[in-house]
Amino acid sequence: MERMLESDPDWMRRRRTEAFERFAASSMPSEREELWRYVEIDFDLDEFTLAESPGTAAGSDEVAAAIGPAASIQVVDGFAVDGGSSASGCSVASLRAAAVEQGSRVAGTYERAGIHADDRFAHAHDAFGGDGAFIGIDPGALPAGPVYVDVQTSAAGLASFPAVVIDAGDGSEASVVVHLRSPQDAYTLAVPRIVAAVGADARLSVTVLQEWGYDARSVGHARLVADRDALVRFDEVGLGGRFSRLHLATDLDGRGSEAIIVGAYFGEEHQILDYRYFMRHAGPNTRSDMFLKGAVEDEATSVFTGMIRIEEEGQKTEAFQTNRNLILSKGASAQSVPNLEILANDVKCGHGSTVGPLDAEQRYYLMSRGLSRPRADRLQIRGFFEEALSRMAVAALGPYVRERLNRKFVAAQEAGRV
Amino acid sequence: MSAALAIEGLEARLGDLRILEGVDLTVPFGEVHALMGPNGSGKSTLCHVLTGKEDYEASGSAKVGGTEILGLPVDERAKVGFFQAFQYPVEVPGVTLDDLLAELAAASSDPAGFWTRAEAASARLGMEPFLSRPINVGLSGGEKKRSEMFQLAVLSPTAAVLDEIDSGLDVDAVREVAAMVESLRSPDLGILVITHYSRILKYMEPDRVHVMVAGKIVESGGPEIADRLEAQGYELP
Repeated sequence: MERMLESDPDWMRRRRTEAFERFAASSMPSEREELWRYVEIDFDLDEFTLAESPGTAAGSDEVAAAIGPAASIQVVDGFAVDGGSSASGCSVASLRAAAVEQGSRVAGTYERAGIHADDRFAHAHDAFGGDGAFIGIDPGALPAGPVYVDVQTSAAGLASFPAVVIDAGDGSEASVVVHLRSPQDAYTLAVPRIVAAVGADARLSVTVLQEWGYDARSVGHARLVADRDALVRFDEVGLGGRFSRLHLATDLDGRGSEAIIVGAYFGEEHQILDYRYFMRHAGPNTRSDMFLKGAVEDEATSVFTGMIRIEEEGQKTEAFQTNRNLILSKGASAQSVPNLEILANDVKCGHGSTVGPLDAEQRYYLMSRGLSRPRADRLQIRGFFEEALSRMAVAALGPYVRERLNRKFVAAQEAGRV
Repeated sequence: MSAALAIEGLEARLGDLRILEGVDLTVPFGEVHALMGPNGSGKSTLCHVLTGKEDYEASGSAKVGGTEILGLPVDERAKVGFFQAFQYPVEVPGVTLDDLLAELAAASSDPAGFWTRAEAASARLGMEPFLSRPINVGLSGGEKKRSEMFQLAVLSPTAAVLDEIDSGLDVDAVREVAAMVESLRSPDLGILVITHYSRILKYMEPDRVHVMVAGKIVESGGPEIADRLEAQGYELP
């Protein structure tokens, strides 16, 4: 299953060989492990085949049209299918090609923002992945629009290991939108990875629009590292996937750096949406705000575990996390577990976590104006998510995301599940 | 001709607690009535029983323009023409007044007419700055009442019950709300203003004043009742 190319640079081949050894020695994670609590994995890697070449991609989508990207690249079944289109000060390329042509820059980004998760999927990614998108934003560059990365798994039975590697140079200002999708009923596995090294004074936003097909399994890892006075934003909209997990580690290393992390997710039927977010304040005067809102209906499950860790050096830090969940059906469940680990003594921290049904008073009030219960509830759901969506970095995605969330809720209403 | 609001023998309980003990009250079209009473007399319960809050078990009759509303779902009562201005308007985070109007327009049989009314009412009540804000979130007491009066004007009900429309307001805001109520007076509408204090009635001209004590109307008469209650409190003569 190991896949090497002659063209790969030595450091990448070495990484892959070592990862393969770790992968071979690893076993499937179990619910007994703290990091995997609340979820059960109903699949194994050997049920899927690693594609030898990219399959046929789905055509252009509404997302690209909505955001009007300055540059874009398509990644199908783990392969960059075109060289990418670049914009001024912003190079977008196949990761595999970039590892050769811009070797030290790609290696440097891996070095600074590598994934250290010790799980079978992360090892599998390191062993079997290697291609995807590399986005290099030059110091001081301000691309005119977002960079769009269209990540797809094309057919049932395939496993893919796509990576999006972002190097945001000092003082640059850019946004990247990653769209994850696969055919609606195809049983697929994706182990996507998104890493970003954000230079001093840079501003980077990464938006992940997760729209895997309903039978997809996905175990994603993301890592963001911020230098001095950098601002990194990470937004995720979780809509698809039978099982979709995202492990996000953010490191505020530089003095005065800031992270704004937003999420909105809606689990329907038997979906499992699993978020494990870690925020590490290593630099002084750093700020972070995590704000996630989710809804689950029918027998869907959501998990949010948020860990804020403030190192001894992280004085004068402010860190907040909020996770609010709506349970729309009796059989649905949401786990919300905030954690704080504070080693510094001069910090401001807060967390809030709620799990509950739609608000009866809001429903009563809206119905008293003549709205039917379904209309009143749709309005309330919209308002619930609005608090998250209004915080997201790429406002142009708002109408698309609102429509998708509403569509999921309406489908549940029409099926009589909520 | 039927009345805007006709309540007969209305009883209500909350679990084992009997709160309304047979209320009879009629508000003819074109009139503004006041309902006064001490705390705990059942005034707010009357509002919620008329609006259709699930918590209460009600019997008797309440007709809006001749149509029985007891037993109807909350939204159906509004469609028949009942409106309650809430004492504590509920905050709906993330949903703007504009969103609510759009949803109401979409549900309306005459969206164009709805928007015409909405625009006229918004201009008259100076609501423009509030349309793009989440419903009742961060509004002052007076602004919330104004928003309720705005929604009343837009929905153009047959019978409107204004629950403690003057509570928590300073004297200027009370005067403003009273003027709004008077401006809503119309031959197609009957209004019942519920209040604990008589002060708002100084700025309006209620056609009749009803006094409720322990879940019953104990006295009905002209505006002079309000003056007497102000002087003597709710001790019965």
